[in-house]
Amino acid sequence: MSTESNERPITIRLDPLDKVVHVRAGAPLQDALFALGVEFPCGGRGTCKGCRIKVLKGDLPPTDHDVQKFTEADIAAGWRLACQAHVKEDLVLHVSQWDSPILSDNTAFAFDPQDGLGVAVDLGTTTLVAQLLDLTTGQVLAVRTALNPQARHGGDIMSRVEFGVSAEGQAKLKDLIRREIGRMIRELVTASHVAPAALHRCVIVGNTVMHHLFCGHSVEPLSHYPFETNHLGLQVLTAKDVGWDEFTLRIEFLPCFGGFVGSDIVAGVLATRIHESEQIEVLVDLGTNGEMIMGNRHGLFCAATAAGPAFEGARIYMGMRAATGAISRVHVRDGRLVCDVIGEGTPRGICGSGLVDAVAGALDLGLVLPNGRLLDGAKKMHLLDPVVLSQTDIRQLQLAKGAISAGVQLLAQRCGTTTDGVARLHLAGAFGNYINVSSARRIGLLPMAEEKIVASGNAALHGAKLALFSRDTERLCAPILKLTEHMTLSSDPKFQDVYVDEMSFPASGV
Amino acid sequence: MSNITELYDAILTGNHKKAVEITDTALKGGQDPKELVDKYMIPAMDEVGRRFEANEYFVPELLIAARAMKGALNLVRPLLLAQKVAPAGRVVIGTVKGDLHDIGKNLVAAMLEGGGFEIIDLGVDVSAEKFVAAIKEKGANVVCLSALLTTTMPGMKDIIKAIETAGARKQVKVMVGGAPVTKQYADQIGADGFSDNASGAVTEARRLLGVG
Repeated sequence: MSTESNERPITIRLDPLDKVVHVRAGAPLQDALFALGVEFPCGGRGTCKGCRIKVLKGDLPPTDHDVQKFTEADIAAGWRLACQAHVKEDLVLHVSQWDSPILSDNTAFAFDPQDGLGVAVDLGTTTLVAQLLDLTTGQVLAVRTALNPQARHGGDIMSRVEFGVSAEGQAKLKDLIRREIGRMIRELVTASHVAPAALHRCVIVGNTVMHHLFCGHSVEPLSHYPFETNHLGLQVLTAKDVGWDEFTLRIEFLPCFGGFVGSDIVAGVLATRIHESEQIEVLVDLGTNGEMIMGNRHGLFCAATAAGPAFEGARIYMGMRAATGAISRVHVRDGRLVCDVIGEGTPRGICGSGLVDAVAGALDLGLVLPNGRLLDGAKKMHLLDPVVLSQTDIRQLQLAKGAISAGVQLLAQRCGTTTDGVARLHLAGAFGNYINVSSARRIGLLPMAEEKIVASGNAALHGAKLALFSRDTERLCAPILKLTEHMTLSSDPKFQDVYVDEMSFPASGV
Repeated sequence: MSNITELYDAILTGNHKKAVEITDTALKGGQDPKELVDKYMIPAMDEVGRRFEANEYFVPELLIAARAMKGALNLVRPLLLAQKVAPAGRVVIGTVKGDLHDIGKNLVAAMLEGGGFEIIDLGVDVSAEKFVAAIKEKGANVVCLSALLTTTMPGMKDIIKAIETAGARKQVKVMVGGAPVTKQYADQIGADGFSDNASGAVTEARRLLGVG
């Protein structure tokens, strides 16, 4: 790892979207592009060409992966794999997958050209992503990201609900999010020089709390058991309803499964198409709620597993989001743990993927025992000064990974099989895209053979984009909702036993 | 043939089979059941609690130890009853209405049971009326309220009010706990005791009842 990192930010312009992002020298291009909704179908392993980009201006030396994947002529023309690239100087890039919303991983989704333009929005608890699409060609015309302005009234989902339970709180959260998304859409329109009247549709996906807050439904029922609400269905609003007066577009917030499993997961099913699969597949979102859905075309079961925020670096002593200064990767080399830092400067903390790697490596080196104890009763483990991992951090990880792993096992039981009978595990969400799959398996987070695990990128946004091309969103989602049974895992008498069993780490690598 | 002093280690390491075996042999050999509990079993669970607080033990180790303890206790309990040995206290415990979180509450119940308390576990999503009814019916002197959500935590206050209204407030010490609950909040709603971990709950219950 180089310590002499250049502190000058590098400017990356995405053509023809008029979008500029700034990153530190040496930063992986994947980090910058993922935030904009660029998908990495193989999980950034350089095995597909789904994330390919064309360098229009600037120098991005080809990597070994590029040499393998592209012809000499392609490389000379500027084609690279975004997932393998580290930026060293200002660049102007063209993102190939935005030429059409269908990923180049050969998923055969026949999209139905529509009139006008549409916006797909992934409304996350923390971040927002909006893409403007030409519905005739499928091209992405512009993209905007922002932080969810509601976050100042509670970072995690339950504190957001708590704030939104009062009438004033709810009105405030509703106004904040409607205004922010409206602002993003205005920017998208301005950036791509189109008339506001050309915008016909907007499809939004998000968890059930975000769904209720945006659509103006009370979140009070989501604040306590049984977490049931009467407004789970597809919500259709006009631009006037939400105060976007210069537009005439139809706004559709996709339906939700239940109190803790929202339309982002419905969209994830649309993207991964597990509801059409003959084999049993599962989609897992490694976030605070740990939502998952498993099954096949004959039936699906979904659940939330309350994994907690450890994967997002919260409640970890030196935890942080995957940003500059975070230890994001840890490898074992010559019997020692070696850390990679985002931005290659002085480390400031550790993010979820680094945490999983560090514990996996420490298990292999015997520095952490299968019961989660640090060797010789140590209170902390040094990673890369000044960053340490505390015993309590490992306990937090045990709780989070135990919840996910127990959830997958219980859903498999409901599907009449075991985890061995699950043909494919799709990882959704940002963390799913960053996590090292073999480390995740080493700590027992994903009880599945490595070749069955695929990162599905921002499946929620992808699903929202697919919905934009559907003439009838209600009919598009209906079969998924009809097939799915929403389960409350914690009321399953077996849950505690399986959860507690899964809190321990596997004794040796599998 | 196992030595009776090994009962302590069997519980501490969560060896259910061995704990039951030793207890069975000891009782058949005429060992006083109360002494067995006071000298070996409760001290073993106290050590489990100490290790849990020191982060040496985690949820799995604690639950395995509690299971071994429970196995041994099942043999001893009828004899204690026959001898009219009173438990350290009678505890009604449950997770408040609107909240389904079970594990934290179960840990507290297991540790209290290991500490010599009799446990009446009402489960999860328990209404104020149910708490009041159980306190009166069972003649409990401690009630433990658990909540894991910031949104269900205010229910604790309502339960304390309901206990007051029912005229049972003097009869029981109220203890509260769960991830969002703080000492400050406990004081604010008029609870008697608070703990942020399962082992501390035993110490707190003993303090409130003036035992141990």
